[in-house]
Amino acid sequence: LPDQSMLDRRGTFWILALPPMIFLGIFFLTPLLLMAVFSLRPDLNGSLFQAWTPTLGQYGKVIGVSSYWHLLGLSALMALVVAVVAIVLSFPVAYFLAFRAGKRAGFYLVLLLIPFWTSYLLRVMAWKFMLGSEGVINSFLAFTGVINQPLTALLYNRTAVVVTLIYVWIPFSTLPILAALQRIDLALFEAAADLGAGRFQQFLRITLPLSLPGVLAAFFMVFIPTVGEYVTPLLVGGSSGNMYGNIIQDFFTQAANWSVGSALSMIMLSATLILVFVATRLINFRSLLE
Amino acid sequence: MLLRGENKMIQRKISKLSAIGILVILSILLISCGGQSTPTPAATAPGSAPSGATAVPPTTAATEIPPAQLTGSLNVLDWAGYDQSDFWIDFKNTYPKVNVSFEIGASDADIYSKMKAGDQADIFHPYTGWLQFYVDNGLVQEIDTSKLTNWNKVSDSLKKLGQVNGKQYFIPWDWGYSSILYRTDKIPGGVTSWNALMDPKFKGHISMWDDGPGAVTVSAYIHGYNETNISADQLTAIKQEWIAQRSLNLFYWSGEPELIQGMQSGDVWVAYAWQGTYAQLLSKGVPVAYITPTEGRNSWVGMYGIRKGSPNTDLALKFLDQKLGVATGNNVVNEFFYGDSNQDVMNGITDATLKKAFSINDPTILQHTNFTPNLTAAQRDAWTAMWTEVKAAP
Repeated sequence: LPDQSMLDRRGTFWILALPPMIFLGIFFLTPLLLMAVFSLRPDLNGSLFQAWTPTLGQYGKVIGVSSYWHLLGLSALMALVVAVVAIVLSFPVAYFLAFRAGKRAGFYLVLLLIPFWTSYLLRVMAWKFMLGSEGVINSFLAFTGVINQPLTALLYNRTAVVVTLIYVWIPFSTLPILAALQRIDLALFEAAADLGAGRFQQFLRITLPLSLPGVLAAFFMVFIPTVGEYVTPLLVGGSSGNMYGNIIQDFFTQAANWSVGSALSMIMLSATLILVFVATRLINFRSLLE
Repeated sequence: MLLRGENKMIQRKISKLSAIGILVILSILLISCGGQSTPTPAATAPGSAPSGATAVPPTTAATEIPPAQLTGSLNVLDWAGYDQSDFWIDFKNTYPKVNVSFEIGASDADIYSKMKAGDQADIFHPYTGWLQFYVDNGLVQEIDTSKLTNWNKVSDSLKKLGQVNGKQYFIPWDWGYSSILYRTDKIPGGVTSWNALMDPKFKGHISMWDDGPGAVTVSAYIHGYNETNISADQLTAIKQEWIAQRSLNLFYWSGEPELIQGMQSGDVWVAYAWQGTYAQLLSKGVPVAYITPTEGRNSWVGMYGIRKGSPNTDLALKFLDQKLGVATGNNVVNEFFYGDSNQDVMNGITDATLKKAFSINDPTILQHTNFTPNLTAAQRDAWTAMWTEVKAAP
């Protein structure tokens, strides 16, 4: 009976979707809502669950601070640079894995993922040892006699943060591009070749357009979390490499001021959502995906 | 050229592998995220129990049971490192059957946030500056010092620092200085004032502590402001001062190992520092000096409090009494180079490096020391906001 099979299908949907929905509800949506609620709380005096009058006072306090806005813009710009460079660097890797690596593709993919066997924190720390004044680069340059004094411009600045973040994100941005390239029907290339298209033309007319959904997925996957990044600037950014996430972190971990921290988080969340919304409007997704 | 079928097979293989890859990444991300949010203690204390073991009936009849037979459990919210049994060795030896479990706080704000959110720790460890909040929010109970056998070994000036609103809510335990530390080989002329942190001569080689109230304290010393009563104009001036300082500063340190590494490598020449850093650099043979600035040093004291409503108050008092023991205090002095509130411990120090670090031979040191006053919530919020604006400044 058609009705019975419909029911089965719906049942399967709920069995598959319910556990992750419950998980996300408890561990993602609830904290997010709590944060929104906290941003309206006047202060943290008294018990956490006592009644209080909602206020926009926290937003009022931070909206007028121009340096916060400046830093938010700067963080978005850094995220943009990181996302674009990471994609430019990972596209050839994905292309190679999809079309050129042949039987060894699996092996190379594992090589690409090996850095993930250690923690994120350790990989960022490793960059400190690379760039530091007694680090790998400086030691090598001193050993070869190129420099007498260690280069101090390598670490503790915004560039160090961007370089480290690009490194961290390359494997991430490779995967969605690889997935998109793998979906391309190879018959298209044969047909194009039959019709006289050269390799470059094939790339421009087939590979590039069909990889765009993966490229965009990679872009947002890198851009969105990078806007709120705080660990990397903390470790390699020094006094002048701070990002917006560090300001939020300070309000939570140094001031125990959850209300202002939450308000700043909500502002960042809204700003990122607006940016993504505008981007999706500017780029016609439907035509890309069809 | 590969055959179509072969190609498809490879593609399918790759797809499978990417799926595995993504799974691997996600699981590793989850693990590493977990690792970031819960700082791992330097070593797990032997004899520590899982935190679930706290639901034990109150030990009211404890006085009749010999210490070696006394059972029960205590949950302590402390800083990483202090969970090692060296730092509660007297209690461990006297009450071997009591389970002590530790929870780690990353900063004063973190410990306060945890207690505020309903943490069930029996004992917690804040520092001077943060005490008032616990009293105002009803998170700490008054301590019956008549039950502490080691209480008479604590100096009156330290006892007083543990009092809020005239009542003894906290037991002073570890203490230390904040002052200017510098590399004597890089700055042969030496420095004499807190304003060494603002000196353009040391551009790119200065490291300030990552802390708003700490920055206000330094500026207050330099300009002679009253630290407990900073006006809005003064705070604006302080903000401008630290924004200008930022281009001279290499990095803001948040933990001692970070600063120690920076000074050892020669990147940092002059820094705001606690004497733990000084003593550790001395023991590594790094040429450093720890000054008594013309404006005076800063001093901070670590306190233990007992959570209001703790079902293990009697046991907690025993724990705090043993915390003041000599063996425990000696370990604080020798392993972390911090002072101990038990005067017998401090009087027993013979090591020349330690004597230097604590300025034990300088009878006038306390006259040159400014103790950290208690912060109000308004000051804490305003000063941290000032500090974030320094960091965010273009």
